[in-house]
Amino acid sequence: MSLQIDPWPPGIEPTVPIEGYPNTWTHTPKQPLHHGPVTRTERTAPLRLADKLPCGNDNLAVLGAGRIAQGQLIHIAGRVLDEDGRGIAGAVVELWQANAAGRYFHPIDQRAAPLDPNFIGNGRVRTQDDGRYAFFTIRPGAYPVPVQDIWWRPPHVHFGVHGPATLSRLVTQMYFPGDPLNDLDRILQSVPDAAARGRLIAHPLHPAEVGDQHLGYRFDIVLRGRHATPPA
Amino acid sequence: MTARPTSQHTIGPFFPRTFFQPADNDLTRVTAEAAPSTRGERIILRGQVLREGGVPVVNGVLEAWQADAAGRFAHPEDPQAHLADPDFLGWGRAWTDAEGRYVFTTLLPGGYADAMGQRAPHVNLTILGAGLMRRLQTTVFFPDFPALNAADPVLGAVPAPRWPHLVALPDGVAGGNRAFRFDLRLRGEAHEETPFFEV
Repeated sequence: MSLQIDPWPPGIEPTVPIEGYPNTWTHTPKQPLHHGPVTRTERTAPLRLADKLPCGNDNLAVLGAGRIAQGQLIHIAGRVLDEDGRGIAGAVVELWQANAAGRYFHPIDQRAAPLDPNFIGNGRVRTQDDGRYAFFTIRPGAYPVPVQDIWWRPPHVHFGVHGPATLSRLVTQMYFPGDPLNDLDRILQSVPDAAARGRLIAHPLHPAEVGDQHLGYRFDIVLRGRHATPPA
Repeated sequence: MTARPTSQHTIGPFFPRTFFQPADNDLTRVTAEAAPSTRGERIILRGQVLREGGVPVVNGVLEAWQADAAGRFAHPEDPQAHLADPDFLGWGRAWTDAEGRYVFTTLLPGGYADAMGQRAPHVNLTILGAGLMRRLQTTVFFPDFPALNAADPVLGAVPAPRWPHLVALPDGVAGGNRAFRFDLRLRGEAHEETPFFEV
């Protein structure tokens, strides 16, 4: 028996390094990646990770009584799925983002944009039995990337997902539909396939489905699921 | 139904410090408050992450995953999962400081028999960081087991001249525990870059 990693379907993985994004030219390995076998270490992950990384912080928009973040209130909900479209239960989903002015609550972000005393900007939840997760937050602002040839990051939300195998670990970003900065973003545009880029853009829900308190978006995340199949 | 996997992106430079708790880089504890497992040799795994030019990678994130001291995982993929050490999580997360340094506390892992061959004791490391659009994965082996290492199917996927990059070095004693040093060079010439695996 021989177990190998399925290659990524074409067009989904970002093309690296990226022109105009200097960090990709100093961090991305130059040497080819090795094609190792899939063994038990790759097929497993901590099933009790939610004990180590406390989950349940799903409301980034309200820091405490009367402490509501500035910005457009939004609800992001979706499912974490495997490559067969089945919901993944018990996945740990981490989310972090800039505030409405496009500034992160992080010591490295020293840009001259206001911090919001009512917004930290990160949360962590565990998916339900059908793979569902949800967060309540605000729409983040855009911000410039301080490189020689400056570009602006469109509003985006970072997602990190820990699935049932270390091979299914995924870090990605979610974008908002219709933002003109999406087409100019060197990070989003590094994904070659237009459909794959489209799957990084949240689906807006009709306000009639959501109500008058906030806007709603759906964002499904598909983890590499057939992580170990015998080669053809 | 077939679903296409979601594209990877970088974690960017602003992965929240507030995501980290004190024991996150301690694989021997199942929660921050739990007593550490004592079923095995407690070790320190530490090193420095460098990028092109030997410059430290600041605020990079490393995630470690390994078997317990007897080579078992508390996971249905392990036929001996019921015997896995209940006090050992086997997973930890660390971030790199201004000099690119990280540290994990763990137990020396056990090897195990796999369908692909006998695995030498090892720790899998995932590396995430600004400028890394795709996560990197590598495997740490230990200098105690040269014969097992030479027969390991994952190490065997790497040309032998590059093996030394994947074997941690003895690094003295820290707090009464043996320490091992594993430095990572994300980008460099063939003789200096750390071997990484497809994921």
